[in-house]
Amino acid sequence: MEVVAEARPLSLNARLFDYPFLYFGGEGDFPPLAQSEVDTLRRYLGYGGFVLADANDGSSGTGFDAAFRREMARVLPASPLQPLPSTHVVFKSFYLLDSAPGRLFTHPQLQAALIGGRAAVLYSQNDLAGAWARDEGGDYSFEVVPGGEAQRELAVRTGINICMYALCLDYKDDAVHLPLILKKRR
Amino acid sequence: MTAGDSTAWKLVSLSPLPGWALGLLVGAVVLGVFLAAVGLRREPSVGRRLLLLALRTVAGAAALFLLIEPGVRTLQVARVKNRMAVLVDRSASMGLPVTPGGGTRSAAVAESLLRMAPGLKALEERFNVELLGFDPALLPVSETVLRTVPAQGVRTDLLGALRALRATDTGGSKKLSGVLLFSDGADNAELQGGVSARARAELLALGFPVSTVQVGDPTLLDVALENLKVDDFAFVRNAVGVEVELRVRGLPGKDVPVVLEREGQVLGTKTVHVTGADETTPVSFTFTPDQTGRFVYTLSAPVFPGEAVTENNTRSFVLKVIRDRVRVLLVVGRPSWDERFLRGLLRQDANVDLVSFYILRTSSDDTQTRNPERELSLIPFPMEEIFDAKLSTFDVVVFQNFGHADQQLSIAQYERKLEQYVANGGALVAIGGDRALGDARTSYPILDRALPVDPVGQTASVAPYRVHLTAEGQRHPVTSVLPTAAASLAAWDELPAGSGVNLVRAKPGATVLLDNPSLLLDGKPAPVLALWEHGRGRAMALMTDDSWTWAFTVHRTGDPTRLYDRFWGNALRWLVRDPDLTTLQVSADPPSVEPGTPVGAVVTAREVDYQPAVGAEVTVELSSVRQHRVVATVRATTGPDGMVRVSFPGQPAGAYRLHATAKSGERVLGEGEDAVAVRTVGPELTDATVRADLLAELARDTGGKAYHLPLQGLPELPLLDPPVVEVGRSKDRPLWDRWEWLLLLATALGLEWVLRRRYGYI
Repeated sequence: MEVVAEARPLSLNARLFDYPFLYFGGEGDFPPLAQSEVDTLRRYLGYGGFVLADANDGSSGTGFDAAFRREMARVLPASPLQPLPSTHVVFKSFYLLDSAPGRLFTHPQLQAALIGGRAAVLYSQNDLAGAWARDEGGDYSFEVVPGGEAQRELAVRTGINICMYALCLDYKDDAVHLPLILKKRR
Repeated sequence: MTAGDSTAWKLVSLSPLPGWALGLLVGAVVLGVFLAAVGLRREPSVGRRLLLLALRTVAGAAALFLLIEPGVRTLQVARVKNRMAVLVDRSASMGLPVTPGGGTRSAAVAESLLRMAPGLKALEERFNVELLGFDPALLPVSETVLRTVPAQGVRTDLLGALRALRATDTGGSKKLSGVLLFSDGADNAELQGGVSARARAELLALGFPVSTVQVGDPTLLDVALENLKVDDFAFVRNAVGVEVELRVRGLPGKDVPVVLEREGQVLGTKTVHVTGADETTPVSFTFTPDQTGRFVYTLSAPVFPGEAVTENNTRSFVLKVIRDRVRVLLVVGRPSWDERFLRGLLRQDANVDLVSFYILRTSSDDTQTRNPERELSLIPFPMEEIFDAKLSTFDVVVFQNFGHADQQLSIAQYERKLEQYVANGGALVAIGGDRALGDARTSYPILDRALPVDPVGQTASVAPYRVHLTAEGQRHPVTSVLPTAAASLAAWDELPAGSGVNLVRAKPGATVLLDNPSLLLDGKPAPVLALWEHGRGRAMALMTDDSWTWAFTVHRTGDPTRLYDRFWGNALRWLVRDPDLTTLQVSADPPSVEPGTPVGAVVTAREVDYQPAVGAEVTVELSSVRQHRVVATVRATTGPDGMVRVSFPGQPAGAYRLHATAKSGERVLGEGEDAVAVRTVGPELTDATVRADLLAELARDTGGKAYHLPLQGLPELPLLDPPVVEVGRSKDRPLWDRWEWLLLLATALGLEWVLRRRYGYI
């Protein structure tokens, strides 16, 4: 898969529709979105856009987590965030995984907001991007706890699976894949 | 009408005394004789006793004669002429030859009737002889008609004919005295399975004898396909079963092949080895229709020399092939947004059964795993299964940005199969990208034959561009995403700028629906969407991998549009030849007819916006599949509902195709096709059997007699006698008013008195 290496920060406006994959991450609380931004994000998700949200502060009930949940309740009031079971296709879209660790591993599972069976929003409270981040010299920017480099490897694999899921949806749930995947999982 | 007058007589009593008085007198006379006998029981002389008793008896009889006053009543009587019906089978089987190459069964009846003419003439003194045919309705016939007019009744209903004849028996001169029935006995109605108890009761209740004359030779040589069993419709790419019975008579030891064809194309052959003189063998075929539509299928067995009937060696039927769900095989070269939105669309379409394979990694990709088998969810690319074994089960195959050079991912060894799949009626879609249509890492020259475009040999243009709907695209159902051409044009114009196109040239015969006006190839805008028909199949090429923006980016302004959904929906329907997508439809009505019966068709014409095309000029051609030529053409004008029904003259048996074109003014509305079968043989000609047993049973149950041809004259027929009726006035002539009877009484009484005195009784 070829990707644009540089991140392109965007406002939640019409330009969003040039990028069907949106990374929504941060640390700490952030101010409420404008109503136009809420509407744009809702339309974006409704027409097939994908959001990977990432609590870089590893918060739960405070900070980014509280703010993001507050805004998602406005964007998708009918599709609340809910834990994603380990049987979900995102855990087998490329690598066979059981959990989704990041820089932290406080929450084994991802949260998701579903639209028509599709996980339009995937939310990690483990700071996935923190495990992936490298400095200009190519070294990893942050230490991964508690699992160290093995956990970082799983965090990278989780990221690849999320990208594969965004691009292939439930491809790996097709009947043709099931026997082999079940055999491998045994 | 009577059979002739005659005179009859009878004895009557002319006495004015009532019956009871006459009875008393008779009793008195008998008592007198009895008392005389009692009184003479002591007479020793037998001679005297007998003499006196005889005189008393004679006197009593004479007295009674005078009292009863007997007379002779003369009266004029006549016999009513009843009906006698000669009933001739006029079903189509009577048109079969009596012997191979000989005259028909009907002609044999005509000849026999000529021989019977004197006998029938003689019967006319007592009966009104009527010559009737039944087909199955009763109708008057003559020997000339039997000889010259072919028997065409579509079924034989012997009991129905006798029932109808019975209904004409209203008594009197209409009363039936008997029937002489000429038939081959090949009943295919109530008596097909023999005479049931109910039928027998009805035959008994007819009230007149039916004598039968068997026409035709029961020992014949014939090959027949009977009892065809097949459904009216089938699902495309699903197996269909056909069952038929092969009946072979008079050909023991022969091998008889049975062939199944679809409009000239052989689908299968089964050979039956015949061992008996009259053998019926079930033969079944299983085939998989690969195209939707209505088709004529034909089962046939060879004609052997001397066969009684050759028409029953073939059977035709019409099968409507429909699709259940469109089975789409999506093969993706690598994950992309283009693939993701197409998958999302196809997965949520209830009419699509999607099977997909994505290349998620190539052999050169590093997955950074120690045990890829256990750590990856990847499965091998099952090329052999999907491109060989299962390929024919798909309605549409989509290659999306697929063109790997990797040996493990190359489909080179299957490209001929894929090309043939399209040529034989399948559908192929090629979607562009950085690994397809000229940018592919390898080429598939054989498969490319099925595509409507040729790569120009340059890498894709990545200059932004705006897609343009061509003039052809404005008319074509695939790109007609809105009800009017203008609205569709505006919808395509409003799409976001594309990011690149694969560079191709449209092949001759291909239709370009979308192009890139900012990029010229050979002086013409570069094609973005092109399609064509390849053999019996269809193919489409989309020279970009950013059609996903039509589904997503287009919504950035908030304006709702369903262009992407409609485009792919239209494309799939066009690819699988959805009949509802055509603006002109023609349907055979009914889909199969008997030989000689007019062939009907209903044409429905719509404008490009799918409104009824009122007053459209429609031309419908009827073509013979066997002869490869148009056998009849009809022109008509559609009504307010855009429909018109046309009719063609009856055609010989065989498979035919209807081809309709329509114009509204100068504008061509399209064309449509359908199939119609003129059945090779109807139920009447399926079986050439002569059923002597049925005719004999029918005669026996009604009190008639059974005969068979040839007959030299009219045989002796059991017929009911016509009743006698009194005509004119009666005349009485008294017998008692003569002096001789009085003298006899006086003499007997006087002589008895004299003798009794002499013998001492007085």
